[in-house]
Amino acid sequence: MAFDPGMPVLVVDDYKTMVRIIRNLLKQLGFADVDEANDGNAALGMMREKDYGLVISDWNMEPMTGFELLREIRADNHLSRTPFIMVTAESKTDNVVTAKKAGVNNYIVKPFNAATLKSKIDAVFSAAA
Amino acid sequence: MDQTDRPMVAGTPQGRYKMACTCGADSVSEEVVALTNTLRELAAIRSTAEDAATRILDSAEGLLAMAGKNEAEKAEEAILSIMTACGFHDIVGQRVTKITETLDQVIAASHGEVAAKARKPNASNSVSAKSEPGVVLEGPALPGASKDRAQDQAGVDALFSDKR
Repeated sequence: MAFDPGMPVLVVDDYKTMVRIIRNLLKQLGFADVDEANDGNAALGMMREKDYGLVISDWNMEPMTGFELLREIRADNHLSRTPFIMVTAESKTDNVVTAKKAGVNNYIVKPFNAATLKSKIDAVFSAAA
Repeated sequence: MDQTDRPMVAGTPQGRYKMACTCGADSVSEEVVALTNTLRELAAIRSTAEDAATRILDSAEGLLAMAGKNEAEKAEEAILSIMTACGFHDIVGQRVTKITETLDQVIAASHGEVAAKARKPNASNSVSAKSEPGVVLEGPALPGASKDRAQDQAGVDALFSDKR
C-alpha cells in the first residue's frame, strides 16, 4: 500500500492523552482523517465499517489487547494487509519478537518523539512500495 | 512508616533493595521482594515525571525565546516536543497500576488471604491478567533492566531489521 496522507488512520489506545498526542503528530505529518478507538474490540468493529490505510495501536488494553487486534486483523482476509504499528511501553525482547512474528509492521517504544513516529510511518510505507 | 524512614524511601529506595538482597535469597520473603519492587517503581515514576517536566520546561522556554521572531519551523518542533512529553501520563499510569496490583497482593497476603493470583508465576511483575497465552505484559521497564527485559528503540529497530 502506497503512502497517502489522505488515507484514514486509526489510533487505538486506552489513554486519551496518548490518543491526543498521536492525533496531533499525525495532523502535523499531513494526515487529516484520523479516527480513534480505546481498545481492540472497538477498533476491529470500526475497521469492518471503514477501510483504514494505517493502524497505530497500543498493546496493553482491555478487553481486547493490541496484540489480539493484530492477530484478528492478520487472520481476516479483508484486513490482513493493513499496515500496523505497535506503540507501547512493552519493551521486553520476547514481546517485540512475538509481535514481529504476528505480523506487526513496526514497533515504537514509549516514550517516543515525533521524529520516531514519522520515521516508522515512512519505513512502513517504504517497505510496502 | 515513621519519619526517619521517609527520606530513604523517597530518595534512595535502591538502598533498601540492597538491604533485602544482602539478607540472602532464602530469607527474603515474597512480600519483601514485592515491596522492594514497589519502591523501585516509585523511584522510576519520579524519574519519568522529572524527565517529562524538564522537556516541557525546555520547550516552553524555547517558545518564549522565539517570541516575536518569524521561526515557525522551530516553533512547531518545540510544540511537538511539548506534546510528546505529555506522554508521561501514560507511562506513569502504567507504573501506578503495577504498584496498585502489587500492594493489593501484599495486603491480601498479610490478611491471610493468599489468593491464587498472588502465587501465579510473574504475578508481581505483570501489568494485569490480560496477557495472551505465552505473552507476559510487564509494562514500562525499570531503569537498568537487562536488554532482554527492556529494549530501547534502537534495540527494537535491530530486532526488526533482523530477517531471521
